[in-house]
Amino acid sequence: TACYFVSVLFTADIISTVEFNYSGDLLATGDKGGRVVIFQREQENKSRPHSRGEYNVYSTFQSHEPEFDYLKSLEIEEKINKIRWLPQQNAAHFLLSTNDKTIKLWKISERDKRAEGYNLKDEDGRLRDPFRITALRVPILKPMDLMVEASPRRIFANAHTYHINSISVNSDHETYLSADDLRINLWHLEITDRSFNIVDIKPANMEELTEVITAAEFHPHHCNVFVYSSSKGTIRLCDMRSSALCDRHSKFFEEPEDPSSRSFFSEIISSISDVKFSHSGRYMMTRDYLSVKVWDLNMENRPVETYQVHEYLRSKLCSLYENDCIFDKFECCWNGSDSAIMTGSYNNFFRMFDRNTRRDITLEASRESSKPRAILKPRKVCTGGKRKKDEISVDSLDFNKKILHTAWHPMENIIAVAATNNLYIFQDKIN
Amino acid sequence: MLAKGVKRKHGEMEAGEAAAAPAAGGSPAPAAPSDSLFNISMLKLHQSLRHVEPNLRYLVLVANTLRRIQDQMPAEAEAPPPPPGRPPAAPEPPAGPGAAGCPDRRGRPAPEDELLLSSWDASLCASLPGAPEGAEPPGPARPQDAAPPDGEPGGRPDAPRPPHPFFGSLELLGSTGSLLEDSLEDIFEDIDTSMYDCDVWSPTSLAGFKAFSGADEEGEDGGRLDMNDLDYLMDVLVGTHAL
Repeated sequence: TACYFVSVLFTADIISTVEFNYSGDLLATGDKGGRVVIFQREQENKSRPHSRGEYNVYSTFQSHEPEFDYLKSLEIEEKINKIRWLPQQNAAHFLLSTNDKTIKLWKISERDKRAEGYNLKDEDGRLRDPFRITALRVPILKPMDLMVEASPRRIFANAHTYHINSISVNSDHETYLSADDLRINLWHLEITDRSFNIVDIKPANMEELTEVITAAEFHPHHCNVFVYSSSKGTIRLCDMRSSALCDRHSKFFEEPEDPSSRSFFSEIISSISDVKFSHSGRYMMTRDYLSVKVWDLNMENRPVETYQVHEYLRSKLCSLYENDCIFDKFECCWNGSDSAIMTGSYNNFFRMFDRNTRRDITLEASRESSKPRAILKPRKVCTGGKRKKDEISVDSLDFNKKILHTAWHPMENIIAVAATNNLYIFQDKIN
Repeated sequence: MLAKGVKRKHGEMEAGEAAAAPAAGGSPAPAAPSDSLFNISMLKLHQSLRHVEPNLRYLVLVANTLRRIQDQMPAEAEAPPPPPGRPPAAPEPPAGPGAAGCPDRRGRPAPEDELLLSSWDASLCASLPGAPEGAEPPGPARPQDAAPPDGEPGGRPDAPRPPHPFFGSLELLGSTGSLLEDSLEDIFEDIDTSMYDCDVWSPTSLAGFKAFSGADEEGEDGGRLDMNDLDYLMDVLVGTHAL
């Protein structure tokens, strides 16, 4: 299917996370400056048939501020590492946003009416002299311009010594987990003054540290099951029913290393940067530096599918190690039906793989292709030999333009792609 | 940490990669690592450890890679003992890249010597392509400039590898992250911290601390000093109480 440009939205700062809510009507971004911007999908509008699929700013608020820890002489970055929506239970929307140390629950609510005709104060807000009031009136509700308010409802702090990399809302809608480099904590959404530690891989002697936690997620349906990935390319599935402290895993997923491709960088490129369950809950997907792997939860010894994202970088690992690009953490996502997966790459390229047809496509999020309803042209990287027209050679790739964060609408083929401080929205059809 | 994707000359890159990674044809064992790869890794490790809270994933990956490199480096039959005149730790940094008197590292160092993070070749570091601007060796007040343990073994390749002191400084973070733990005093013994002595604190700075730590911290202390301890400490510093 084709991919059409819908819109590009500019934020002030580098986008650090992107997430659709459960209905797909809202799209949240977090940025390096600690701000959250929520976009809302345009409603069907007969007079503007092309507007459906567009997202416009709905609410903007400062979620986290920079903090200074005087005892450690350390600045805690306000950068939003992750946003996760809660399922909607009433008119308001709730989301969790986190920086390196503190998770916050935000309530986003609309106000489109105000009360008029108070008894004790007049329209300016000035108090009326009670002795002058001779009659009582019932205030009436009058419409006003829509105001969207965001307020912090819970602050979950002081539970993480190391840097938080993941949060995941449980299917019970009451609890969630937060993971840092060495520990995973379980929280109840109502309780902020304590959390339960469910995974702890900190060695007694820090000099023995060789592995860290890189991502964690709850199973979409089984509220007792979660997975966490490591810097050594392994995934552990844990069942909270089996023990309180889930240091012992129920399942251990690891693909044996291919001896022919072993190099000094083998471990770094095997480090998993993201793990996501499929919507069905039968599979999970992991992203390492060069590939995306789909795992069947019933098969621990190897993935069922492996997709190469940018294999042409394998011969460049030394340079990528030198400039630290090899440490970039790319995310990945499923489409609503789990038939396709998407992940980002360099040069503002992003890749989509169709699991059924095994076809893949490389597209670019760029200003040049940002004309309304323009169709995106597939891109190709030339790895050697004669470069064809429209191909780009590996050495010309811009490694500063990296797409780390992408999101797929839960039901439709609308995707959000974050390229530095630009949020691109694409969809598969035009109206 | 991020630098631009630096374009290197084709020949230069091929040489670096041939030394560092196996050819696409795939020989089972990686070729001997280049000095450059080793030095780059040491530079990254240094820079990471300079942060109060290093990026742990980055640190672990670099350290593990460094171990791999060291394992592959040709072992010395007999490592040269450190020259008698050379101090065990070098807390004073050279004046800058290429400064006169900066120790030059010739030949491949014994792996155990490298673990000590004890010598630094600033001129080498500055000449690395892609090295960040103004790269300089760790300053005097950095915890990782610990003196090497007594009786550290020489370069015997088959001696059991001692636990890496890379992360010794990470232990200092501990679960409280407090820099006021006693174990740190030894490390700072030989360092002149007179310029950092805080004898000009005023009571108002404590109020600032309280406000900044946030009204929303309802949680447990987690090892932080509480206000009473800080008050007492303040009084001691301004001389109201004698220790």
